[in-house]
Formats: sequence, C-alpha cells, structure tokens
Amino acid sequence: MLKVSKLESGYGEMQVLWGVDLEVKEKSITTVLGPNGAGKSTTLKAIFGIISPWNGMVEYFGEDVTKTPPHKKVEMGITMVPEGRHLFPNMTVEDNLLMGAYLSRAEEKFEDSLELVYTLFPRLKEREEQKAGTLSGGEQQMLAIGRALMTSPNLILMDEPSQGLAPKLVKEVFETIYKLKEEGLTILLVEQNVFSSLDISDYAYVLHEGKIAFGGSVDEIKESEDIKKAYLGV
Amino acid sequence: MFKFKSLIIPFAIYIILIAIGLSQPGLWQPIMYIMFYIGIGVALNNFMGLTGYVDFGYVAFLAMGAYGMGVALGYFTYLGIWAIPLGFVLALIFAALLCTAVGGVALRLRGAYFAIATIGVNEGLRYLIEGAKIWGGSEGIILSGKLRKTFGPEFANYLSTFVADAALIIIIFIASVITVYMINSRVGYALLAVREDEDAAKVMGINVTKYKLIAFFTSATIGAMIGASAWTLKLTYVFPEDVFFIHYTVEAIVIVMLGGAGTLLGPVVGGLIYGALKYYLSVILPGFQLLVFAPLLLVIVVAFPEGVVGFVKKKLQERGIIEYIT
Repeated sequence: MLKVSKLESGYGEMQVLWGVDLEVKEKSITTVLGPNGAGKSTTLKAIFGIISPWNGMVEYFGEDVTKTPPHKKVEMGITMVPEGRHLFPNMTVEDNLLMGAYLSRAEEKFEDSLELVYTLFPRLKEREEQKAGTLSGGEQQMLAIGRALMTSPNLILMDEPSQGLAPKLVKEVFETIYKLKEEGLTILLVEQNVFSSLDISDYAYVLHEGKIAFGGSVDEIKESEDIKKAYLGV
Repeated sequence: MFKFKSLIIPFAIYIILIAIGLSQPGLWQPIMYIMFYIGIGVALNNFMGLTGYVDFGYVAFLAMGAYGMGVALGYFTYLGIWAIPLGFVLALIFAALLCTAVGGVALRLRGAYFAIATIGVNEGLRYLIEGAKIWGGSEGIILSGKLRKTFGPEFANYLSTFVADAALIIIIFIASVITVYMINSRVGYALLAVREDEDAAKVMGINVTKYKLIAFFTSATIGAMIGASAWTLKLTYVFPEDVFFIHYTVEAIVIVMLGGAGTLLGPVVGGLIYGALKYYLSVILPGFQLLVFAPLLLVIVVAFPEGVVGFVKKKLQERGIIEYIT
C-alpha cells in the first residue's frame, strides 16, 4: 500500500534520513522503532510531506506521491496524528471533530465517521461539549486520533501516540490502535515504547542513524537477541 | 448560513458617523480621519486577524494603491474621467503583483520571520522607487496642476473631496461584507484552523498556503483601494516617504489588536477609538499626543488582551445579543 524507497531528507543543511526503505501492507500495523534522534519522526514528516523529501520515492498504491503536498495526501486517504497532538484547545471536542471533517470527501462521510469515533471512544461522546484543552492527556490523544479518523482515511501515520501518558493510558492507546486495524485501517506507527508497540504490530523496522537497520515481521525481531540488544536496548 | 446579522452594528456605526459628519459642518474632516483608520483596521484584519500573521510591511499595499491611482491620473490624464476607474484597476493590479511576490516567498515563513521579511519588502520597495527614479522617484507624483488643467478647478476640487471620501466609505462597507463572508465560509473555518495550529490544519487536509494567500490577497487589495482613494485622490499627490511610512502599518496593527483580532466589529471599534483619540489628543495637546497616547494604548491592550470586542463577547457569551456581534 505504501512503499518508501531510498528516502533522504532533513532540516536545512542537516541530513537526517540517509536512504530509508520500508513498506506498509494494507490492513496491518507497521512500527518504526529506534532511539532518539534516529529519524523516526522525520521519516513520518517526509512521507506525509510536512518536510520535503530530498531524494528517494514514496509510493501509495503504486502512485508516486513523493512531492504531493499534505492536503492532497489527506484527500487520497492518508492522514497523520502529529506528535504532541496539535488539538485546538479552545474548541469543544465536537468542534475539533467537525474541523477534522473539513474536506468535502470527509464531510460526506461525516455521520459514519463520527459514529465510529464515538464507538471507539465513548468518553469523547460524554465530553462532547467540553473544551479540548481541559481533557486529560489520554483523552486528548484519543481526540487527536478521533480527529484524524474524521478525514475518513485508509492509512494513518502516528507519531509517538504514547508520549507523555501514564502507563495505564499507554495501554489503552495501544488497544485503540489495534481496534483501528480491526476496523480495516492501516497504521504506520513511530514509537519509543518497544514492548507495547511490538505487541500490536505485524511488521517492524528498526531505524538507526537515518537508515533502516532491520525490517521484518514482529516475530523475527522478537526472536533475534542481537537486534534487541544492539538497537533497542532491551 | 451567512451571519449578516452581525453586519448591523458595524453598518450602524458607519451610518451614524457619516450622519454626524454631514450634519455638523466642522466635523466632516475628523469623521473621514476616523473612517480612514477604521478602513485600514478592517483591511488588515482580513489578513492579520484571520491568519494570525503580523505583516509589518502592510502599508506597502496602500502605497501600491496610491501609486496605481497616481500613475493613472498622472500619466494617463488624457483619458479624462476614465483615468479614475483605470486608477482603481491599476491599484488592484499593483497590489496583486506585490501580493504574489511577497506571498509566494514570505508566507512560507512563520511568526517573527514573516514579520521581519515584510518590513524588508516595504523598505526595499520604497528605496527601489526612490533610487531607480520610478514614477518620479523621491519627488513623487504631484497631480493638483494636471487635474485642474484637465478637469477644471471645480471638478478637480469635487474629485478630491466628494469622490475620494465617497470611494473610501464604499470600500469600507464592502470590506466589512467581505470579512463576514470570510469568517462564516469554508475559507473562514480553514483560516481558523491555520490560526490556531498550522500543523493541525495540514493533517486535516487544509491547503494552508492557499488559504493564507486568499486572506493576504483580500487584505492587500482592500488596502490598495484605500490607498488609491484616501491618499492619491484626496491629497492629489504621492510621495514615497509618505506612502511607505511604516507608522501606518503600526497604527493598523494597533487598531486590530485594540478592537479584537479576527472579529468583524473589532477593527471598527479599534479604528473608532484610535482615530478619535488621536485626532482630539492632537487638538487638545498638540505635539504631546504620542506621550499621552502610548501609555493609554498600553493600558487598553493590557486590560483587554483579546481586544475590546473580544472582551465584550466573553462577557455576553450567554446573552441573545451575542448573535449580533462577530
């Protein structure tokens, strides 16, 4: 579904990605693991187009989308849950979700998307009228995911959804991501939380100094002591 | 869907101001002075208020408008009365060109970088016109003689009084309608997302550059129309050091913040307070108006961080009248 080959990118003069290759299969969860500064978030940003790729190619269902701007990608069914959530804190939960369905393609499916969000996150329904900024960390993350769902995507890129959450909530977030997969969505996840993310993932890649050091099924990673020791510190 | 109700208060303010100006002989000029400040506030608000970007080079768009009208009346005087519509068209074209050049480059920058880049554009353009002696260079364009020769003294006088003022008033009415339309349309929602969080807007599929450019363009062209009528038509001259004077940009920013950025009524109230205060302070305390003015503005901005209208809106949140305030 998504194929990234030899992707190079960075900020200003500083190159961060030195040729990232990875593939995301439809209706799966794929995780990119790696230490701080390995280029995990940069990879997602370059795929989505928030920063521009310098070299390499991003393909979505065989179509070259390397230079496609983010808003067009959303129209094609790719969305992103950015790091740090980026909610609209002064708007209500409902308005945040409404804003998520901005595109006309998303507006048409508004009712269905909203029902899906409220089924997945009943707590958001209870807090419909509450301002997003007053929600707890976990609820805010749910809302960020919910808002992404409102664009009626096929592929969701998630940047560290467990960041800054209490252990109990981390578990909840990962359970939700798994439920999204059961709903037929495809997820590309970037995480530092090795154990929890491997538990729900089908495929995993290990990013090391801007390159993929390893890629394969989750079982392979789990079996290989070398990989775990060398790159994941577990 | 459009909340035209919210136009009632600003339109009422305009009409009352005009009525006062017409009925009290000595008050027409002060009223037009205030209307000018309301105008630049409403115009800048369409960009600054709706996107959250501060443009320190905004006056350059008024300058483009002033030059558009100046070039038409100065170099195409033989067209007679048709030089005036041509002036407004040139004002639009010049502003649109500048808008494309600045917008394409500077709008990629965020926050303070954008603000600084726009100051550079304003100053650069001014020195370009002066240095390269474009349109008369630093000597500017002086129209009064030409206008008198072409149209006769009576009609020339009529142009710089009635036509100039009427044009400004019409522009302000139209600008307010545009603001209401923008706030309540899809453009407005997109801009709201951009203003609150540009990254969030991107993941929702909003083409942030496009909507920022729409707001920039709208604001720039309204500014240019104001420059063409309130400056060139009314004063009958265009001097680069006047039309690129950064002081006007600062005043417009103060008006928007004082009244309430991103609201329809904000710049109207801001312009009214600012214009009236400035005018009467310069009458009561000539030469000292800035000394009084600066701390006064400071107090107002500290007391009402969301502007006067933002403050009132908060207080009236539960009342029915809120429908009339946008």
